[in-house]
Amino acid sequence: MSAVAIDSWAALPEALPGEPAIRLEPPEGLDLPEATQERLSHLRRLLAEKYPAAERKPGGILPTGLAPVDAVEGGLRRAALTELSGGSGAGALFIHAMLRAVSREKCLAALVDAARSFEPEGCAPSALTRLLVVLCEDPAQAVKAVDLLLRDGNLSLVLLDLQAAPLREIRRIHASAWHRLQRLVEQTSSALVVLTPQPMVEGARVRIALNAQWTLSAQRRWRHGLLAEMAARVFPRHCAALNGAAGGATGGALDAADWHNRKESVSA
Amino acid sequence: MFAAVLLPNFRLQAALRFREELHEKPVAISDEDEAKTGLLEVSEAAERMGVRPGISSPQALARCPQLTLLTRSRPQERAAQAALLEIATAFSPAVEATADGYCTVSLQASRDKDWPALAGRMVEALAALRLSAQVGLGPNPDLAFLAARHARPTLVVQSPGAFLARLAIHELDPPPELLAVLQDWGIHHLGQLTSLPRGELMDRLGPEAARLWERAAGRTERPLRLVQPTEEFVEAYEFEREIDTVEPVLFLLRRFLDQLALRLGNVGRVAGRMTLTLALANGGAHERSFTVPSPTAAVDVLFRIVHTHLEGLRLEHCATGLQLRIEPALAERQQFQLFESPLRDPNRFGETLGRLAALVGPEQVGAVEALDTHQPGILRLQPPRFHEITRGAPLADDLAVGLPLLRYRPAVSAQVHLVLHRLISIVSEKARGAIREALGPFRASGGWWESDRWATEEWDIALESGGLYRLARAGHEWRVEGSYDVPAVAGGEPAAAGEEPGHAALQNLIPLPLADLKSPPG
Repeated sequence: MSAVAIDSWAALPEALPGEPAIRLEPPEGLDLPEATQERLSHLRRLLAEKYPAAERKPGGILPTGLAPVDAVEGGLRRAALTELSGGSGAGALFIHAMLRAVSREKCLAALVDAARSFEPEGCAPSALTRLLVVLCEDPAQAVKAVDLLLRDGNLSLVLLDLQAAPLREIRRIHASAWHRLQRLVEQTSSALVVLTPQPMVEGARVRIALNAQWTLSAQRRWRHGLLAEMAARVFPRHCAALNGAAGGATGGALDAADWHNRKESVSA
Repeated sequence: MFAAVLLPNFRLQAALRFREELHEKPVAISDEDEAKTGLLEVSEAAERMGVRPGISSPQALARCPQLTLLTRSRPQERAAQAALLEIATAFSPAVEATADGYCTVSLQASRDKDWPALAGRMVEALAALRLSAQVGLGPNPDLAFLAARHARPTLVVQSPGAFLARLAIHELDPPPELLAVLQDWGIHHLGQLTSLPRGELMDRLGPEAARLWERAAGRTERPLRLVQPTEEFVEAYEFEREIDTVEPVLFLLRRFLDQLALRLGNVGRVAGRMTLTLALANGGAHERSFTVPSPTAAVDVLFRIVHTHLEGLRLEHCATGLQLRIEPALAERQQFQLFESPLRDPNRFGETLGRLAALVGPEQVGAVEALDTHQPGILRLQPPRFHEITRGAPLADDLAVGLPLLRYRPAVSAQVHLVLHRLISIVSEKARGAIREALGPFRASGGWWESDRWATEEWDIALESGGLYRLARAGHEWRVEGSYDVPAVAGGEPAAAGEEPGHAALQNLIPLPLADLKSPPG
């Protein structure tokens, strides 16, 4: 990382997993004149005042226990909005997996259900004791509930389940609401996951597409076996900055191998 | 040494605790139940205008048209009396509730012998609770009481003889006949009375005169009837008119909490639970209890809890009274990290729960309650107890089978076509088409020993057009209970529940003759 030219520091938006946050510091061994150093420190102060969020360290990662998701970034990004879309069966399985993850990590979670469709059948009691359920009448009310939960800051994970809500009602949620939730979650160490029938959340830092085709034979199999079968593609935002122009603002889909290859190429 | 703590004009003080605007004005208090007794107590300003206790309200108003007449409030008097006893108990455990607004404290075991300073601290502590007190200290309870009467605001009787000699005889409240005789004899002060021989006085005027002589000499001793404060932390207020906005209620609640927090602090307690009661104009009441997740005496935290509730409260009738009761608890002391609650700020979380309850309804937010039934579809939420979770709880193995259900609440009515008890097709708002495969029936029943018996048969079905659903039959009624996986509709979009089926999905419908859309037998 020290070989990166000074004028490209600001272009690097965030650290790779497992690495410290990128800061506006001169590379080691570079002896800058006193006047330049002074101007740099002034610039740092100005940036810190204007963009206090940029000074914060990354919120960390919440492991999901789902191999395809954890392989890319280690889990869900904290302090970030993740959108998860796919079939409703896959979404419900993901919620089940996250309840186990919350229990494993010994933290707390909230499930904001926009269609009152949550069924605790099959969930481990120890996971349910760590879950706050909010049953809402419609997606708009659910977004308000998420807003309150993010401002609270006590919970490590907030799941907004819009899978069973009518599409036309989800589309009525203004883009600014999603941006507001992203801004709110940035100020916490919580992970926010919005489960939607199809990608529609603006400002999501990560998008995960789950893909699975189920038949009735799934009803006779262990749930953890079904989870292991589920395919996931992860679309982290800003990964374009690490790998040229490919992918645009939302980046391209990554699997674990892609991610490590890109990381290696940047380090080189 | 004994201390007598006296709250002069106790009833008036209790009524004016939360009405600073009336403190300098002519005010009198009367008892609605005993109108014939006239005014009970009057303020100094009213006294200057010629208003005296005992006169009737019309007489008082004739003498002072600006007079504010208040009605005695017993809840407020109880709160003031409780505050008085709490303060007294903070100085000594031996306290007698001698009368309303008056208590006697035994300071025999007190290590602090700086009596004037101690009396001053008592006055200050009561002043913080908006109570003006007079404290007298003397070698026996009666002397302490006499000292309290003359205290401005404190008086310590060092030499009882000199103090008593100057007092008029009526200070001891003798029987009127005895007082008249003594005055006929030209005896007006206690010093004059004690100069008479006690035995001869008793021979002439009886044992009552002997008891008076002993009191005048400061020689009476009596045991205190000790009381234990009930730790009742209640503040109440009765509005003069009906209140239809939340602001006056919040204003008073803040003051209540200031006072209650002080009182809790005096006895080393914190608030564990609060109960807010609003008396309504129709004679009813609105009552709500709040558990303080992490017991505290911080006024801001407690105020936010009740504020959050009142923000979303809509009542059909105006409020006429307000009461706030706090159940005290011991402050939590725990070793950090080992038994730390997973909640960073339990009180903030409690406040958020209140806001969520106001948004979606109290029954729609909480942790899943484990119910003693196998009846499917029941989801009941209860207030979460995250602060009680210990970090060391083990995670059980995942023994769940099959896909999780997305339950339709309420379940969707369906018509199912059967041939030889085999499910052939379904028509409903959520799922329709030919049934490719079905698992079931899975039968369940319960509550047969009670009035609310239930029985159901369930199938997991896969439709030809895609999608896995749970179908249930209770009696002759078929219902789609929920979905395991919703099929994709035209355009590659997954169909959300409640969404109209796409054109392609409609194309897949199998036209069913009306005759076939019948419920299965029995």
